Formats: sequence, structure tokens, C-alpha cells
Amino acid sequence: MMLNSIMYSKWAQYMFIGVSAPGKPKLTSCRSPEKETFTCWWEPGEDGGLPTTYALYYHLENSETVYECPDYKTAGNNSCFFNKNDTSLWVNYNITVVATNALGKNISEPVEVDVAYIVQPNTPENVTAVVVDEDQGPFVRVSWEKPRTADTRSGWITLLYQLRVKQQKDKEWEEYNAGMQKYYNVFSLHPDTEFMVQVRCKPDHGFWSEWTQTTYIKMPDYIPRQRSLWIIITIFSVFIVLILTWTLNVKRNSVKLCLLPPVPGPKIKGFDKQLLKSGKTEEVFNSLVIQGFPPTIDYDDLLVEYLEVYDNEEQELVLDGKDLSEDCIKSKSPSDCDSGRGSCDSRTLLLEKCMVGRKGSGSDQHQYSQHGETSWASTESSECQGLEPGSPESSDGRVKTWPVVFSSPQPHHHYQAETVKPVYHSVPEILNHSSPHIMPTNYHHLHHQDIPQQEGRHGKPACRHSQSYNHFNLDGLNTPAPGVSPSRSLEYVEVQRVNPENMLLLRPLSDPNREPEGSDYAGEDYSKVKEVTSNNILLLRRDTSHHCVDDYSQASQCTTQQPPHPCKPVIYQSNSGMPQEGMRVMGNGYVDSTVLMPSY
Amino acid sequence: FGLSLPAVAVLLVALLCLDPHGRVGSAPICAHGPSGCHIPSLADLFDRVIQHSARMHSLSNDLHSEFEQYFLPSKNHIGKIYRKCHTSNILTPNGKDNAQKLAREELTEVILKLLMAWRDPLFQLHQSMAHQQDFNSFSSNKALEMGDMAHELRKGVEKVAEKMRVLGMLGNSVTGLSAAEAMLPLSDSGEAMSDYELLYCFRRDSNKVQNYLKILKCRIVPEHDC
Repeated sequence: MMLNSIMYSKWAQYMFIGVSAPGKPKLTSCRSPEKETFTCWWEPGEDGGLPTTYALYYHLENSETVYECPDYKTAGNNSCFFNKNDTSLWVNYNITVVATNALGKNISEPVEVDVAYIVQPNTPENVTAVVVDEDQGPFVRVSWEKPRTADTRSGWITLLYQLRVKQQKDKEWEEYNAGMQKYYNVFSLHPDTEFMVQVRCKPDHGFWSEWTQTTYIKMPDYIPRQRSLWIIITIFSVFIVLILTWTLNVKRNSVKLCLLPPVPGPKIKGFDKQLLKSGKTEEVFNSLVIQGFPPTIDYDDLLVEYLEVYDNEEQELVLDGKDLSEDCIKSKSPSDCDSGRGSCDSRTLLLEKCMVGRKGSGSDQHQYSQHGETSWASTESSECQGLEPGSPESSDGRVKTWPVVFSSPQPHHHYQAETVKPVYHSVPEILNHSSPHIMPTNYHHLHHQDIPQQEGRHGKPACRHSQSYNHFNLDGLNTPAPGVSPSRSLEYVEVQRVNPENMLLLRPLSDPNREPEGSDYAGEDYSKVKEVTSNNILLLRRDTSHHCVDDYSQASQCTTQQPPHPCKPVIYQSNSGMPQEGMRVMGNGYVDSTVLMPSY
Repeated sequence: FGLSLPAVAVLLVALLCLDPHGRVGSAPICAHGPSGCHIPSLADLFDRVIQHSARMHSLSNDLHSEFEQYFLPSKNHIGKIYRKCHTSNILTPNGKDNAQKLAREELTEVILKLLMAWRDPLFQLHQSMAHQQDFNSFSSNKALEMGDMAHELRKGVEKVAEKMRVLGMLGNSVTGLSAAEAMLPLSDSGEAMSDYELLYCFRRDSNKVQNYLKILKCRIVPEHDC
């Protein structure tokens, strides 16, 4: 009873304090450094508040004999050291730890251990790192010794070594396997830096040892002297330079051509450099001259070809040679209509016709080139105005100069003073045929008749003059076509002669009655202008049918109108229905074809 | 025709030199003595044998680990009841001192006994692993290779022993060689051992063999590795 109460009281006492049996210990690891001894460590559990003792017990496999740990001290606290005598290889140890305190004990989980497989050697010893200087550059030779306890000599244990290197600042180590040798050469380390080296080892079947203490080694500052490489590079480059020089020398001509391309010489046709060098520039440049360029036109020749046709509505005198289209009927000064002079004057003819009949269109007169103006003279009845009194013919008050239909680009000459031939370029062609003879009477006749009747007509009478020109072969040397039908064919005329008054006397080439006559009977000598074709050819009609040609037709636009009325060769009845532009038809239906000369 | 003149000439010479009556036979490589070819030294033999044993042991280690990992989840070996290995009858030194105390002949004998004892069980192991669906072909191949290696190793060790005997290193008391006999992998109870037990036992024994060979080598031909 008393014992029970004592025990109960004790228990109660412990209960109040809060103690208990120890917790379960746990074997953490067992290790053998040299495969001859081994040590086991355990972890104590809660001690329960009371002093606890631990004991390690083991038994070998297939044996029930339990042994206790022979040595608790050598390996420190909570350890058990098995010495050589107690260590058996290739035998399983069944080890347990028992924790005991006043209140109880606790047994750890058993652990099976085979010593042969728990070998973890000690760290290698005497790690040394030395900088070795060689031609290729310095490197570090790390050497060490085996852990003292490991017996590799007898072959009992085989160790494999490993080392690692890094700089102070690096994060990662660089590891090298050294195998079973106890040294290692580390290459490719940066110069002038300090390195850390560590070594560890492992048995062929076992655990790695701990790393050794860090060994510091400083790499010297060196310049990689790769002498042989530089020598090779130098020789190679010298070789290449020599080859290049030799190649350039061989090909120097092509190189020169490439670098300094030749300046192209002048490439002018006909240009002779030798001549130039000789200094005879005249000859040099003469060879360059192209004969016949620019083409020179004898403008005088062109003058004759100009025709000016007055438009009876318009009063403009187009002296421009190009304006064939303009209506311009030049009328002659009526003052001299009777005399027969001047009116057929080649110089005055057209001009008179142009100027006469112009109603106050003196302003237009200046359109004539100089020629025209000079040749106009105003007559009382003449509408041609502005003729220059300076002309010899104009002394009569008549305009004797051709109207400047020939408003050629060249300044007009005073035709008065000149013969017909040189004045009108086209005329000479006609003149070549025969001596011209102009019947002035018709002109006068016509002229006179024209003027009063055609007050409104300006310059129209000038067209009448054209009858003196049966046909102006403006192109030049057209051969007359004899026997041309009067209605539609071209009839060529020839100038019979030029009278002293510079009047052309024309007659049709096909006229059998070719004779110079001063008869003013225009019947045989004159032909009517039927029309003016587009190429400024006057189509003349034989005066057989007594058909009047159109009255008025412009130089280039002379429209063909029917000759409505029978034409008397003398009297122009005019107005009877022919009021239009174009050629001024004389009374008998003849057209002053002078105005039909095309202008250039 | 692509053949050049020298090639044609060579062919002609070869044809001419052919002996129509010649027989093709085999001759030993080193028939004419040491001048004929290179005879491996004892150290070379030992190196080859040790490498072989290392390879064998690694194979057994792998197989055992696989077995333990996939088929026996318990890692603390709790509940494992090991039957005795069938080779436990063979007295083997279990420590360095014991191993060093053994004479080289005895040591050689132990090695040979061990290797001999495992000839048939390894064959059985491969057979049973190949037949079972649990093992993949890779493991069964390893078992097969392991068996072959054990066989090769035994042959090699025999050659080494022969060499040593020739060299006079071994005494005449090599009774172990003749007494090596195949043993059936039977436990005490007579039951066949399981594959795992076989693997477990063989892993241990291969480690023994390797260790013994190393000791033998460093005792007989102590060179740079020792």
C-alpha cells in the first residue's frame, strides 16, 4: 500500500512537472572513413524533461546476439564508434538506439547497415597550388595527398579525386575530375587574378568526402606571348605583300588604265587633231563647215511667189508672205488705169491693187513691207493709198509697185526701179519662157472699172491684175500643159515680155497665137482664172466659153464660183453676183492672178 | 575503266602469289613466342580483370537499385528477412586485415569459388527475369550480361592464377581451384531464392571479388595504382 502510494505520488509529481518518457531517437547516419571502422550518429528525441540515456544496440544479420555500442565517446555525443574489431564488412548490422529516462525508454527505428557501402573518406590533405610558367603560358598545378586514413596502398580502397576552382567573385565553381591521380594542371586561367581551389575524393563505391579548405593561388600578370603564331603571321603577310607587288608590277599597265582612265579625245567628225596642232585653225574649222548650211534662200526669188488677195470685206493687206489665205485683193491705183502703165507694172500691180479700194485702211498698209508702202500712191479715185510717192511710177499718182504681197521676210525692194526680173523671183521663171509683154490697157481698163464699182472693195481690183498672170507657176518650172481643158485644167502661161513699165505680158503657152502684141484685147492673150488650187496654182480657163471666172478669190482660198454671166472681154459687169472674196475678177472675167501668188 | 595501272599490277601480283593448293588454317596469334606478338603482362592481366570485376559490380548494383526502387518501397529494410546467401558457406575475409592475412593462393581460391558459385544462379536469375513481365527487357539484358561477365571474369582469374603459377608466385596448394564446384542457390530451408535475394547476394559477392582482386593485385604487382 505504501509502495503504491509512493509510486503514485511520484507519478503525480512528475505529472505536475510535465515530464515524460523520452522521445524516440533516430539514427541519422553511419559512416566509415576507410572501410575499416565506422561510426553511427543518432538524434535524440525529446528527453521528456528528464535526464535520458541512450544506448545503441546492434546485432549482425542472421545472428541474434545483441551487442551494445563499444564506444560512445570517440565520435562525440550521440554517436557510436565501431572500431576495427567490431567492424565486419559485407555483413548487415541491425542497429537501434534506445533512449531511456526515469519514466521510460524509447527505441529508435532499426537501421540496416552494410559497412562496405557507407564509406565516406576524409578530405584530401595538403592541397597545394603552384603556378608553372611555360612557353604556352603559365598554368596552375594543384597537388594534394590522400586522406591519411584511407589505405589505398594495399588496394583496400580506391579513391577518385575531384577539384574545383573559381575566382573570388564568381558564383559557380568549375569542377575537374582528376581520377586516381593526386595532381591536376589547370589551364586557361585569367592572368592577374586570385583563384580558390578545393579538392575532394570518393571511393569507387561510396560517398564523396567533404571539400578541403580553400587554397588560394594568384595568377601572375602575363602577356600571352604567342610568338610562333606572330612569326607565322608576319611571314605570311610579307609573302602576300610581295606577291601583290609583283602582280601589280606585271599588270601595271592595266592598273594605270584602271586608276587613271584616259581622257577621251574630241570626237568631232572631220576634226583633224594634227591640223589643230599645226596651228592652222582656219583649215581645221573649215573642215567642219558644212557646205550649204544653213540653207540660204534667195528670198528675192520668193517674193514673186507671194500673192496677196484682198478680201473685199476685209481691208487688211496681208503682206506677210505666209498669209496666202488672207483675202487681199490689191487694187491698183485707179489713177493710172488708163495709161496702161503701172497697172501692169510688176512692181506696182499688186500693190496698187492691194492698196486701192481700201477704205481708210491706211493703217493696214504698213503691213506691207517696205515695198508696198512705197509703191502706193493715192489717187483720187483710187482706193489704193499710201503709195509712196517716191516711186517713179507713183509720180503719176499711180501705184506702180506690186502690192507687197511679196511680204517676204526680206525687206522689200522697190520694185519700181527694178526690172521685173530681179524683183520677183518667181517671175523670172516665167520670163524665161518669153519676153514678157504685158498689156497694161487691160489693167487700166479693169482698174478703172473696178474702182468705182467697188468702193467697198479693197484691194479686190488687185486681184484683177492677176489676169496678167495666167498662171503662176509658183513651184517653179512647171511645164505648161497644153491643151488643158479650160474648166479644170492647169493652164500655163508664159510671160511674153516685160514692157518697160515692168509689166508682164503673159500669154498662155498653149495659145497658138503667140506673139507679142500690145493689144489690149485680152481675148486671146488672157485667160481667165478659174480657180486657185490649194497649192497656189491658178487654174485658168480659156476664154472660149465666155464664162467668167469667179470674181473674187483669195490667194489660196479663192473659191470657185460659177461664172454666171457671160463675160464680155471688155467690160466687167461686175457685181452681178460675185461679191466675195477672192480674186477680183475683171470685167471680162479675168482674174488678176497676181494676187494669187502664194506668199511665203 | 577506272583502275589505274598500279592497282592492276598489284592485283596481278596477288593473283600470282595465290597458292592454289594452299589451305586455310588458323594459327595461334602468338605462336612464335614473345617476338611474335605482345603477351600481356601480369599487371595487364590484373588490370583487365579488375576492370571486368568493376563493370560486373556496377551492373549488379544497378539491378539491385532498380529492384529495390520499384518492387520494394521500404527503404529501411524493415521486414526484410534475408535468407542466407548460398555463398555464405564460403569463408571470405570480412575485413582488410583478414584479407591481408590470407595467402595469395587462398585469396585467389576464394575469388574463384565465389565466381564459380554464381555461374548457375546468375543464369537462373536471367531466366526468371526474362520470363517475368515485371522486368523490362533492359533489366533482363543486364542480368544476362552480368552472367556473362561473371563467366568471363572467372576465366580471367583462372588465367591470372595460371600466370602466377607459371611465374612461381603461387604455391601448389591451390586446392580451391579444383574444389570449386557449382552450387545451387538454395537457402537453408531449401527454397529457391527470389530474384531480389539473388540480386542482393550477388551485389555483395561481386564487391568482395573486386576488393579481393585489388588486394591481390597490389600485393603481387604493386604499381602506380596501389
